This record gives sequence, C-alpha cells and structure tokens, in this order.
Amino acid sequence: MLKRLVWCLVPLLGCSGIIEGQRSISMEEAEAVGVSGLRRLTRVELEATLTELVGETQPLARTLLPPDPTDPFDNDYRLQLASTTLVDSFEELAKQTAERTVADPVRRAQVLPCMPTGANDATCFRLFVRTFGRKALRRPMADDEVERFMSLHALGVEKNAFDTGVTLALRAFLQHPEFIYRVELGTPTGQTGVQGLNGFHRATRLSYLLVGSTPPDWLLERAAAGDLSTRDGVRTAAQRLLDDPRSKNQVERFHALWLGYHRLPHAAQLTAAMQAESDALVDRVVFDRSADYFTLFTATDTFIDGTLATHYGLTANGTAPAWTAYGSAPRKGLLSHGSVLSQGVKFADSSPTQRGIFIRNRLFCQEIPPPPPGVNVDEQPTSTSPCKKNRYSAHASVGGCKGCHDAIDPIGFGLERYDRQGRYRTTDDGLPQCAIDGEGDVDGTTFNGPTGLADALIASGQFEECITTQVFRYAAGRREEPRDHAFILRVSKQFIASDRKFLDLMVELVSDDAFAFRRDEEAL
Amino acid sequence: MKTRLSRRFMLRGLGGVSLGLPLLEIMLDTKAFAQSAATPPKRYLVFFDGQSLGADNDPRHNDLVPNTVGRNYDLKSALLPLGALKSEVSVVSGLKIPWAAENGGVIPAGGRRDGFHVSTVSPLLAGVRSSASSTAAMGPTSDQLVAGFLAGPTAFPSLAYRVQADWYLSVSAPYGRDFISYRRDSSNRITAIPGQVSPRQAFNALFGNFTPPGVDAATRAQIDFDKRSRKSILDIVRGDTERLVPKLGAADKIRMQRHLDAFRDLERRVDAIAPPETTSCVKPMDPGADPMIGSPQANNGTENTYSQNLGYSNEEQRALLFVDLIHMAMVCDLTRVATLQMTMFQSHLNMFPITGQATDCHELGHGGVPGGTMAMSQGIAWHVKHFARLVQKFRDTREGNGTMLDSSAMVYVFEGGHGYDPEGVKQNSSHSTENMACLIAGRAGGLSPGQHVVAAGRHPANVVISAMKAVGAPTETLGEVSGSIPQLFSST
Repeated sequence: MLKRLVWCLVPLLGCSGIIEGQRSISMEEAEAVGVSGLRRLTRVELEATLTELVGETQPLARTLLPPDPTDPFDNDYRLQLASTTLVDSFEELAKQTAERTVADPVRRAQVLPCMPTGANDATCFRLFVRTFGRKALRRPMADDEVERFMSLHALGVEKNAFDTGVTLALRAFLQHPEFIYRVELGTPTGQTGVQGLNGFHRATRLSYLLVGSTPPDWLLERAAAGDLSTRDGVRTAAQRLLDDPRSKNQVERFHALWLGYHRLPHAAQLTAAMQAESDALVDRVVFDRSADYFTLFTATDTFIDGTLATHYGLTANGTAPAWTAYGSAPRKGLLSHGSVLSQGVKFADSSPTQRGIFIRNRLFCQEIPPPPPGVNVDEQPTSTSPCKKNRYSAHASVGGCKGCHDAIDPIGFGLERYDRQGRYRTTDDGLPQCAIDGEGDVDGTTFNGPTGLADALIASGQFEECITTQVFRYAAGRREEPRDHAFILRVSKQFIASDRKFLDLMVELVSDDAFAFRRDEEAL
Repeated sequence: MKTRLSRRFMLRGLGGVSLGLPLLEIMLDTKAFAQSAATPPKRYLVFFDGQSLGADNDPRHNDLVPNTVGRNYDLKSALLPLGALKSEVSVVSGLKIPWAAENGGVIPAGGRRDGFHVSTVSPLLAGVRSSASSTAAMGPTSDQLVAGFLAGPTAFPSLAYRVQADWYLSVSAPYGRDFISYRRDSSNRITAIPGQVSPRQAFNALFGNFTPPGVDAATRAQIDFDKRSRKSILDIVRGDTERLVPKLGAADKIRMQRHLDAFRDLERRVDAIAPPETTSCVKPMDPGADPMIGSPQANNGTENTYSQNLGYSNEEQRALLFVDLIHMAMVCDLTRVATLQMTMFQSHLNMFPITGQATDCHELGHGGVPGGTMAMSQGIAWHVKHFARLVQKFRDTREGNGTMLDSSAMVYVFEGGHGYDPEGVKQNSSHSTENMACLIAGRAGGLSPGQHVVAAGRHPANVVISAMKAVGAPTETLGEVSGSIPQLFSST
C-alpha cells in the first residue's frame, strides 16, 4: 500500500492541537457541536463485530435480523425502530453465536483470558467478564456490573460446567443495550445538553467509520491510555485503521450505498460484474493510488471481464477481469459504469426524470421537491410522438411541472445514450426511428454522456462540498442540520486543500474538534 | 421450580369434559394460560392486501363485488378461491374513504390527502385522517386497540407478520409502505410495529419453549435449567437497560424506552408457561430455513426481469407458513390478535412466479400487463386464496360445540378501490378510494357471515369497527370513524 502523507492537513493548527473532549467549553464552541443519538449497529456492522469479538464467520445477522432501513445509507439511526421482532431476533442471534463460539476450541480460547481451574473458578470467570465486557461494550466495566454476571457463573457451577456460564454470559453481552447500540454517555462541559466524549467513544466512532467494526484491542488500549485525546493521536490511530484491509470494504460500501449499487436489478452475474467494476475503481483511486478524488470520475480505463466488456460494446482485454482501456468509446470514470447507469429506471427503461433526480440528489446534494398535486407519477408520459424525448418534453411542458422538470430532465437526457444496463445505444429501445441525441444540460452547462456530466460535475465547484456532506451523513448516521453546515464546509475546504484525498476527508471528519463532543437530541 | 397448572390443562386432561372443577389458587396465576375450554377466547385478525380493486382506464371497477346482494352471492374471479367457503365470508361493497379535494382541500375526518399511495394507511387502519405528508398512521390501529382489551394473559398481546419480504426496489425505501400496525408507545407517541418477515423467527418465538410430550425426567430438568438460564440473562440485560435509560438525552430516552418495552414483552413471554399440547394445540412442523430474499427488480419494468425470479422471495411459501403459524398460535391461545400484511402498499412484488403475469403487483393496476381489471383480479385472487386458507383452518378446528370461527372476527382490507382519482383528476383510476370493498369472516359476537352487503358511502373502517365490535370492543369507534354495519350481524 502506498504511504499517505497527509496527516498534517492544517499546518496553522499544527498536528498536536488539543481535542481533549472532557473539559469545559464556551457557548460559542458548544454552538458548533452537532447532535448525536443512539445508533444501533447495522446488520453488516454487527457481523463484522461478531467476527472481531468471537470469530463468527457465518452471516447470522443477515439471516436473523430485520433489514436495515436504507435511505440511501443503511446506518441512519433516525430511521431505526426498536420492535419486538428486533429484540426477539437479537436474543436468537446471541444464543446461536454464543453456543457456536464455546463449541469451537479456537474461538473459545479467543474469548477466555484464563484457564479455569474448575467449574467454580470465580476468579477466572470475573476476569473473562471484565475482559470480554470491555470489548463487547466498548468501555471498561465497573465492579458492580461484573458482579451481576456472577449469577450466570452460578448456573455453570450448578451444572458443574464452567463453559455453561461462559455461554450464558456471551448471550447476555450480545443482547446488551450497550452492545446493540452505540451509547455515548459523555462528561459535562458546562453547556447544557453538550457533553465531552472520552477515548472509548472516539475509538468507537473511528473504528465503525473506518473499518465498519468494533474497536480492535490495540485501539481500546490506546483509548484507555489517553492516546486518543489529541488530534495527533486520533490521526495516528486512524492511519493504522486504514491499513486494515477492512477499510477497503468500508469505502467500497460507502460508494455502493451512496450511488445505489449495493443492490442492482439485474441477474446475479451481471450485478456482481458491475459491482466488481466499481469497487475496483474506488479501490484504485482511494487506496492504491491515493489519487485526487476527481480521478474517480475521469478514469480512462475500467476493470471488467470479457462478458461485461461485450455487454458495454468495448474491446475485451481477455476473458478474466482486467483493466481495459475505453479507447475511443465515449466513457470515462464511475458515471460510465453500469452500476451507476442502472439507477433511475422506470417503465422498464431509463427515465430521464429519475436519473436527473438521482444526479441532483446524490452528486449535487440537492433535494427535489415531490411533484405537485394532480400528477400521477405512475403513468407514463404520453404524446403524439412515440419518441421518449418528445414524450417527456410534452409532459414536462405542462404548467406547474415545467419549473422542476427543466431542472431535472435535461440531466437525464444527457445520459439517454446509455440504457438501463449501461449499454450504449443511439435510438430508443425498439424504436429505430427515434434517434437519441444524448444532449444534456445541467445548470446551463451542456454536456453529452457520462463523460461530459463528469466534467460538468467537477467544474461545478459544488462537488467537494457534496461529497463531504455524503461522508458526513455516513459518519454521523444522520442527515445534516443547519448547525452542522459550518463544520461540513470546514472539512470540505480541508479536503480541497489536501488535493482531494478521500481518506483524509474521512479522517478529518472523525478527528475534528466538533467530533470530540456530542449534543443531546431534543425529544423526537 | 414453581409448578403451574392451567385450568385449561386440567380440562384437557379430562378429555374436554367440563366438570365442576375446583378452582385451585394456582390456576389464577395471571401468567398462566387461564382460559377454559368451555369458553374459547375471541380472536381478531387484520389481513392486508396492498392493491386497489380495479386497473387504470378500465370502466370495470372490479371483478370482486358480487352481482347479487345477500346470501349465496355469486363468485367473481377475484373471489373464486373462496369456493364453498363463501358461506363463511361476507363481502362489503360500496365503501369510500373521503379525500381533501371534495372537502374544500381540507383533509376530512377519517379521510385522506389527495395523493394516493400510503394515504389510506391512517384512515383505513386507524380511522384517523392522514397527515398531509406523513406515510404513518396518525393513531393506534385496530389490532392494537383490540389487543388492549382482548390479549389478557396471552404470551403475545398481538402478532404482526408480513409476507412480502422486501421492498424490491434498489433506488428507494418503502417509507412506511411496510407497516400496517401502529401503537401508542410508553412515551405516548404513535409508533409503527414492524411486521416479522421471517417465518423461522416467528416459529421460534411462538413455539420455541414447547415441551415435547412424554419427555423423561432428565430432559425435563434440562428444559427447566434452560429456562432459568434464559431468565437470568434477560434479568441482567433488562436491569442494565433500566439503569441506562435515565442517563440518556431526551430523544435517546424515548428510543431506549421503546427497546425496553419490547424487551419486557420478551421477558413476559418467557415467564409464561407454554400451553400443553392437546389434540388441536400441537407444535407445528419446523419450517426450516427461510426462503432466500430475492434481489430487487427494475422499477416498474415489464420485460425479462420478471421471469428471473427477481423481486420474489418465495412469498407463496411464506404466506403458507404465516397462515399456519397464526392459526396454531390462536389455537394454543398464545395470542388472540394478529395482523398479516400480504403485500406492501404500492407493492413491487413480482407477480410472475405467482400468477404467471410478467409484471409487479403495483403495475397490475397501471396496465403492466393487458387485461385491465380482469388481470388485476388475478393478483387479488392470490391474496384471497391465502385468506381463504386461514378461514378454512379456523373452520376445520373444532372447539367446544363448534369451530374456531365461532369466536373469531377476521377482516380483509385493501389499499384502495377504483374510480375517481383526485390527484390525477381522472375517472376509472386505481388511485382511488371510491368503490372500496372489504371481506369479513368469523361468527364472533353474532357476526353472520356469507352475505354480500352493500354499504354505500360507508367507510371501510366501519367494517373494521364491526369486527372489533364482534370481539367485544366497548365502543363502536375507530379513530374518527364511528359505527358498525348492522347487516353483518343480521341472520336474515
């Protein structure tokens, strides 16, 4: 892996700026602190966490837990809803995981810090509870908390089996509220509703953002040692997390959720090939080359197998997946991928309107208001012409519709030469008389195809703030609020100053002063 | 271990002969299953079909409502799966949910905003006018109100199951189209109750603690130990949750309290003893692993994505299992209230594996395949088939001197009707709440099934209220809607 040289992004502040969260702060400082709420581990986070804690490799969470609400990220805590179904599922998940762990000698050894001298070895049991509890709850346990688990040891003694108590304790930990939810009980700052975060809170934020899992032992040790109380310490820890191969999955997942291709409406093979194509480009830009993030949108080659090359109408570079030059084909970067061009489909075809909304929402961070009353969006636009552009133009010209559609549809028209599976075409599907010109317009900039859209996006000057906003949403587990705007703008400027290195953007979000504190949310 | 004997257990042990049995104090334990075989509990079910009745631009409003009124009605294609069971099911037609445009632009009491999808959640299921924008119910739904007075000591105050396993669109989220049950939570907020989509989990929750009959002493001791262990675990977790709640900020307190409420519900169920197996209450066959969740499909596509089993997670199998589980849960008196959401509002379930139609459930209403309302009725008939199967299972279960249907009220509601669409300003639209219909089965409280009742201008919630009344609701009110439909209780 190439080294990343950008840990000192803001020379004026220096690399040792104090971010100690446990202190008094001024009202002005407090004003910049965003809210945070209880975040339930997502199914994907939970599986990674169980792998880390007890070596579980089966996808138990995806099998047993209800799906996470996704809009577009799967970790928006404001959409999470506790229910009987959820609690039941967690009980079952905890039971299965605990039993599988203790039944496997290697995994059992992973969770037991001592060799019990017998079924009634209370000292070893206490040590196990304290050690495992710190990992599972992501904070040290108090003595009285540890003692409460001794009732489970007693059940093991009754059975003359130490491991029975261990299994029961694992079951308790894996459905414990502080395991299921990320709880941040901070320390007072002198400002109402604003608390300072300690090292364990920061370790948890860092780890779930950067590797999508619970803090590893070394990170908890740094938290305990106070190493995460400086910006420098946080960045050093962040770098080590980014050297963990799981950080690649995490960055890939962010992009797939952001641009909607974590699931695709295609046959399994095509879906997998398209996802692999986009993952490969993300990996190359973000990790392998640590390149300017814009190159994600300007790459002149792509990682595809022979089948996908044929699908796109490109010259294959062998049958196995390989970097393949676009050559003279009108494609470049991520917006040319089938994964992205599969977005915004309606009426069994690409929809200029839906694609336009998608681009505005996800790449320009603009919210499009819903259509006004009197519009049945389930009906296809019609006109005397069979050609799609004419039909869409006709329905968009109607009175109140025009304003919004003029801001949306022309973006989609610019992508019309790429069908809903990303194949190139020059006429409407099944209508050879309807030539597609592929001319688009975004905010007065004309473009043709995904290559032109990528240029327009880069030239817009808005994209750095938008990508920062999207990463913020993923990091904070919620949409931004007015109070967060200054913070997002600050991080966005640092992103630009760092030559748009994506990983620096992620690290800035977790190491900024604003992330050393939290604010309680008002009642729902 | 404290031994608990349920009165019912004693009666069953006597071969169902009702004797002047001494009422032992131990039988009064509220956690035990205390109902007697002589008076079966009442049961209440809401069955939801995320469809309207007719397709766009087809003057035929539906192929469901019988031509004839009264008893022995004729079966149209949507109701064909009822077959002879039509004598156990009433059809109520002519229903309507009012909308804003016909009320000077103001959403009327029990009415909806003009925009169609999900606007009926609140008036249909809670009897409360929809909000202008939210997709949520604005009040508790009928199942939760009924559970409030009917649940008694049952282990599950109510069940909420959903057959359609996924939203099936990758580009959006269901935004409330996946909920049909709402309760008032302990912070006095109306909160959705997400339906369980895993038959496997539902089976475990309902029947996991059933003791196989005739087990030896060692096995019984192990079962006892397992239950004590489970309770010890839950005790630690609940204690820690209770200690955590007061330390949280305002919004988090509400979130954790909801979790705690659900957790206490689990604890209460573990405390309840499993009902003894009898000739009718038996642990069902283990359903095995859940069918795989299908991939999303192209939004509203009509081509080959439908023949690839995308947008489908074997909902056929899931529906069979959930119907079996609801039936047996009620036989065993594990619950008396259930909701079964077959399809989501605006459902993108692929119909191809079900009816052979290359379209999704929602597009059936919008010309996804030729045939208009007749084609749409095939989708409705699939829902009706599973409703009929539930009715049949109740009818085939002997209880006292009759069948389970005698103590039950089951109401089947649709997302919409067919007719005028105030949003699109069009006639003969599937986005309409004119010409709605409901089905209602069961004989509880004097319900007299087997009729086609025309209740012109009444609200579908009036049918829901009739079902609530049948199981003993103290008032004939659901949200802002009042009154039952008397004809449903008339034997003439």
